[in-house]
Amino acid sequence: MSASQIWRLHKKLHKYLGRKGKLLVWTKISVPPSGFEDFIPYLSGIVEFENGEKLPVQIVDCTDEDLKPNLKVISVIRRGKKVKPEEVIEYVVKVKPFDSAQGRPAS
Amino acid sequence: MKINILGSGITKFGEHWDKDLLDLAMEAGNEALNNSGLKSEEIDAVIVGNMLYSKASGQDHLGALIASNLGIKSSSSHVEAACASGGLAVHTASQGILSGLYENILVVGVEKMTDFSTSEVSTALMGAASEEERQAGLTFPGLYALMAKAHMKKFGTTREQLAAVAVKNHFHASLNPKAQFPFEISVDKVLSSSMISDPLTLFDSSPITDGAAAIVLSSAKKSEVYISASAVASDCVGLAQRDSLTEVPATQIAAEKAFSQSGLTQKDIDLLEVHDCFTIAEILAIEDLGFCKKGEGGKFIESGATKLGNKLPVNTSGGLKGCGHPVGATGVKQIIEIYEQLKGAAKKRQVKNAKAGLTQNVGGTGATVAIHILQK
Repeated sequence: MSASQIWRLHKKLHKYLGRKGKLLVWTKISVPPSGFEDFIPYLSGIVEFENGEKLPVQIVDCTDEDLKPNLKVISVIRRGKKVKPEEVIEYVVKVKPFDSAQGRPAS
Repeated sequence: MKINILGSGITKFGEHWDKDLLDLAMEAGNEALNNSGLKSEEIDAVIVGNMLYSKASGQDHLGALIASNLGIKSSSSHVEAACASGGLAVHTASQGILSGLYENILVVGVEKMTDFSTSEVSTALMGAASEEERQAGLTFPGLYALMAKAHMKKFGTTREQLAAVAVKNHFHASLNPKAQFPFEISVDKVLSSSMISDPLTLFDSSPITDGAAAIVLSSAKKSEVYISASAVASDCVGLAQRDSLTEVPATQIAAEKAFSQSGLTQKDIDLLEVHDCFTIAEILAIEDLGFCKKGEGGKFIESGATKLGNKLPVNTSGGLKGCGHPVGATGVKQIIEIYEQLKGAAKKRQVKNAKAGLTQNVGGTGATVAIHILQK
């Protein structure tokens, strides 16, 4: 993506900071697209936020054994796919498990 | 007015290291022209279905490139609708015939994929998905894996039922000399092959393929086989925006339109060619087309009902899984398979007394669906 495309993308990111939701469905990806080779295997799925909005996201800070349908998650902003040193770093929305009893991200 | 199919041409599907995109398009295009009995100067329009080539190779202007090399100087254009590019090309040609603007149209579906690495192809294919899906590192095996997991959870569909789709389509491919993988496989082979995106393995997935398929459509000359319905429907590009992960509404909408156009119902259809890019996709297709109840597609296929010689043969060509999936050519190849079946020219994979067949060609995870019904 060009720098201007990434700039437009980053302008929307604040809307997703710390949003809570639930995990609807997920898969473990073993054969990745370009830029995701260093992550494999990794988890991606669809979450539904509390306002009803659904979003495809990467699920981080957990293993597939930690996941179950309707698992509480919270959105975080993380680096996206790997880019060359001279390219602009792309940040994207990801989610991680959220411990609702503790009111904080699950450790 | 009838949309008559005058002739067809198709390359072998597979890895053509010695041929480029134009070589493949010429082979299929010239064969279709020769079989149609028409001369190149009698063709009023050429419509090319292709998804990836301009993006991957830098070569644009495919309509004129292919038409001119076939010696055709009339109208030419390029249609792109992801993996439904071939079906959309046939639909666009059907519009041209039914409007009365053109009498004879050559449709060429073509894709050259093996010049590029698996990662490059996977990334290019994801151009048919949403920006959010690309950011999430999802791939098409990943997106269809999400649909498979939702179907398994909601209806109890099993890994063995998914594998039964690949086993049946490889059996059909073993009877098709044009198929990329003309050999049989077992359920165990599917289940034990390498995992691509849980629960879909390598043998649940259609391959990277080179190939071309072409047909000549005409309102001017009669033929035994004709297209009685050509319908297309669209939906959200992003899977998360859909109400359900276990249905493809565009298939349901396009099917309703196609049955209405043809005056036929599911009971009149003798065979199907559906878009089994992944095994779950064939299960969804059979359900959404109305050939079994929602949720029962896995059991229906596992029962053997969709195997050649049984109740409703599905993907006698071998489908995308066994015959191969050169994405821009697939929708045209599906039409050719039904055309050959209705002519009685399908040899070892002939469906007896076939009078009507249906094709379903999907772009993305169902953002575009093209459905055609052929009759004789």
